[in-house]
Amino acid sequence: MRLFFKKLGQQRALAVMSVPFLIWLFVFKYLPLWGWSIAFQDYKPARKFMEQTWIGFEHFKFLFGDDRFLRVLRNTLAMSSINLFFGFVTAITLALLLNEIRNIAFKRVVQTVSYLPHFISWVVAASIIQTTLSPDGTINQLLVGLGFLDRGNEILFLGIPEYFWTIFGASSVWKDIGWNTIVYLAAMTTIDPTQYEAAEIDGANRFKKMIYVTLPGIKSVVIVLLIMNIGYLLESGFEPQYLLGNGMNVDYSENIDIFVLKYGIAQSNFSLSIAAGMFKTVVSFILLFMANNAAKRMGEARLY
Amino acid sequence: MNIQGGVQAMGKSKRIWLLALTAVVSLSVVTACSGPNNAKKNTGTTEPTSAAATTETEPKQDKVTFKIFNGVAGSKDGNTNETTIGKLLEDQTGVNFKLEFVVGDLNTKIGTMIAANDYPDVLIPDAAIEEVLNAGAFIPLDELIEKYGPNIQRVYGKSLNQMRSKDGKIYFLPIAAQVNDFIPEPEAGAGFWVQRRVLEEAGYPKIKTLDQYIELIKNYRDKHKDENLTGMVSLTHDWRFFATSNPPMHLMGYPNDGNVTVDTNTWEAKTYAGAESTKKWLKTLNDLNAAGLFDKASFVDNYDQYIAKLTSHKVLGFFDYRWQVDNALNVLKDAARKDPSLDGFKYFPLPVTFEEGTPDAYLDPPGGLVTNRGIGITVSAKDPVRIIQFFDNMLTEENQTLMSWGIKGETYEVNEKGRYYRTQEQIDKIDEPFRESFGFKYFSWNWPMYNATSTLADGNAKNVASQPEVFQMTLTDKDKAILEKYGVQTYSQLFAEPVPRPYFPAWGFAKEQNSPEQLWEASKDEMTKKYFPKLVLTTPDKFDAVWEEYMKEFGKLDTAGYEKWTTEQVKAKVELANQ
Repeated sequence: MRLFFKKLGQQRALAVMSVPFLIWLFVFKYLPLWGWSIAFQDYKPARKFMEQTWIGFEHFKFLFGDDRFLRVLRNTLAMSSINLFFGFVTAITLALLLNEIRNIAFKRVVQTVSYLPHFISWVVAASIIQTTLSPDGTINQLLVGLGFLDRGNEILFLGIPEYFWTIFGASSVWKDIGWNTIVYLAAMTTIDPTQYEAAEIDGANRFKKMIYVTLPGIKSVVIVLLIMNIGYLLESGFEPQYLLGNGMNVDYSENIDIFVLKYGIAQSNFSLSIAAGMFKTVVSFILLFMANNAAKRMGEARLY
Repeated sequence: MNIQGGVQAMGKSKRIWLLALTAVVSLSVVTACSGPNNAKKNTGTTEPTSAAATTETEPKQDKVTFKIFNGVAGSKDGNTNETTIGKLLEDQTGVNFKLEFVVGDLNTKIGTMIAANDYPDVLIPDAAIEEVLNAGAFIPLDELIEKYGPNIQRVYGKSLNQMRSKDGKIYFLPIAAQVNDFIPEPEAGAGFWVQRRVLEEAGYPKIKTLDQYIELIKNYRDKHKDENLTGMVSLTHDWRFFATSNPPMHLMGYPNDGNVTVDTNTWEAKTYAGAESTKKWLKTLNDLNAAGLFDKASFVDNYDQYIAKLTSHKVLGFFDYRWQVDNALNVLKDAARKDPSLDGFKYFPLPVTFEEGTPDAYLDPPGGLVTNRGIGITVSAKDPVRIIQFFDNMLTEENQTLMSWGIKGETYEVNEKGRYYRTQEQIDKIDEPFRESFGFKYFSWNWPMYNATSTLADGNAKNVASQPEVFQMTLTDKDKAILEKYGVQTYSQLFAEPVPRPYFPAWGFAKEQNSPEQLWEASKDEMTKKYFPKLVLTTPDKFDAVWEEYMKEFGKLDTAGYEKWTTEQVKAKVELANQ
């Protein structure tokens, strides 16, 4: 204890500087938790807290009793898993490949081109995707031109529910692959060049260097990012699903956020929205702990 | 959005809501700071007032500025007294309004006001009105109207009872009321549209039924096989889905009541989403699709893509409401004005029904009051008396003329018969920037006013566009020629005369948040959005099986309850109107 205060005294400048952030954290991250109480009320706006009717777990019962909720839960999990897996695999692969490129000019071009889509908003991106996939869009024209399809039989990609996850996954990869590689490329620069030299002396070719030097070198970064992303597993995003979804693919495109919007906020049923939000937070929390624990057991880098 | 557009669009409160949300998503809106704070300081001195002010009974008062929040996005924020009309009104009453329009999501904005219990002086909550009422944010207006509102009583007089809330008090003034005679607009609000070249080639036939309409399109396409034409497209994007689900109602000869059709004899409201009429309409589209005449992408395209298709010259026909396709029609109109050879790509509205003998109802009928939208004075208002006096003063005949026609000799003329008109020069002068600086824009919508189909006491149309003399001036030679072929002077003369419906429109009935009615609508929307595309795109032999499947789902809804509720509302409105 004395040690603690001694340290605090030594680092008082640091301590003082962190006070505003602690206040910020408390005000914006902890105080709002009070709002969770709404999930257990039959909430009516403009009424005081004491005037609300308490109804216990009604909203949760409604959520889990509804087929639609189970369906959107499935969609949410499926889409974020797709996102998580492909996002990682493609970004790491691209980073590894970029790392091997010796021609700086070419490397810059590839990097720029691949991370540009990150900077366009989903609204614009969704429009591009819709146009590309429409019956008279590029992909259908290509398929017709190559003789895979007859004219007049063009595929309505966004109208086939089962295709939605694939389209979603591909779109997300296209949009964020370049951006996601940045952190891995940065991690790769920290690898000691002597390791590569040693590997070369041992007779490793480029591919082997990639597998045995570069990959282990960025392992800790990958694991920390993975743990953090697992915490976001129930956040599959809102914009792409909302913008690319339509009546035909709703069975596969609707996720928790859209469900909350439709049946909670749009109907002014705020309690339901908050109940769904609470569910999401609790599940995310559990997932995060599990992932972190697993990493700890395996003796790997971890979040805390 | 024009006046009519406003009325129609607001019919689907939830859809507007979703639109607003889309706007949030699309713009990641940063709430704009409320503009330069140039509200003028009260000087205490009063300026010499205009002649109109002499009619005021009150003595001249200090100038005041009130804040007003408008839940419909539209214009730029600003002070009304910076416009010509607003300045005149300020001279008369000493009242200036600082207008703020919604940016981003309406419910969030209103929700914040409610949570903070802090409102602008005057509030136009649009779709969020029910929440505002529940929060007790409006003050009752009864006494104020009694004391200071002779014009309000004149304009809303016969509807005052319809405006009462459950507790018997009036909390807001609906956006517009019918005054004097009813004149239909010169253009129908909706219809089955077809390219003019199609009509020309067919020799301008009289098209009355859906079958004839489809036949017309088929014939044209068959003769022009190599031009890569689309027979019909349909708008399905998001809340605008009603452009695809509403036609059965119109094809049966009913006006736009939203989810129901209302029998004028029994005042029974019936839904049609699962009825034979809807089946017939979808079957028609299904056949059209099988024949390669329907644009499949209709079910995945967004609104912009739809508008782009309509201006591409490739689409022969579609059903929609005029306010929704105004942009596309205006583009085609402007192009044809510059180059008359493009006239054939303009669209012509047709009064199509299922049966030859059914009178159509595409023109909105004289109806009751839209009572789920309005303007109210909030509990935060500093001086409700001044505000209600301002509203009352707005509703005088002279000021209603001022707000839509402007100033005599400047923006309109009067001929020897007392008819108002505009010269070509005036028409050319009144463009968008002029409308803004003159104040036509601020005062075109969402104030207490005569509605668009009203007339002034001297028989002139309240709405400039509805005045036949003005309408005639906007027509090109080609327009006149095609109207002549059908023996009419205005487009609306092609359509059947509207039958008065004192409850109209049924979509304007206020629904409680989170009520069974609202839930029915939300579930129905979701179901139709899912099954209609399936029904249209399936092969014709499987159509009946998919319909069965849809019926099974649809049967789970409490449709009877919804119909009962709507019928009750209709009857209550009719009764109040007959009092």
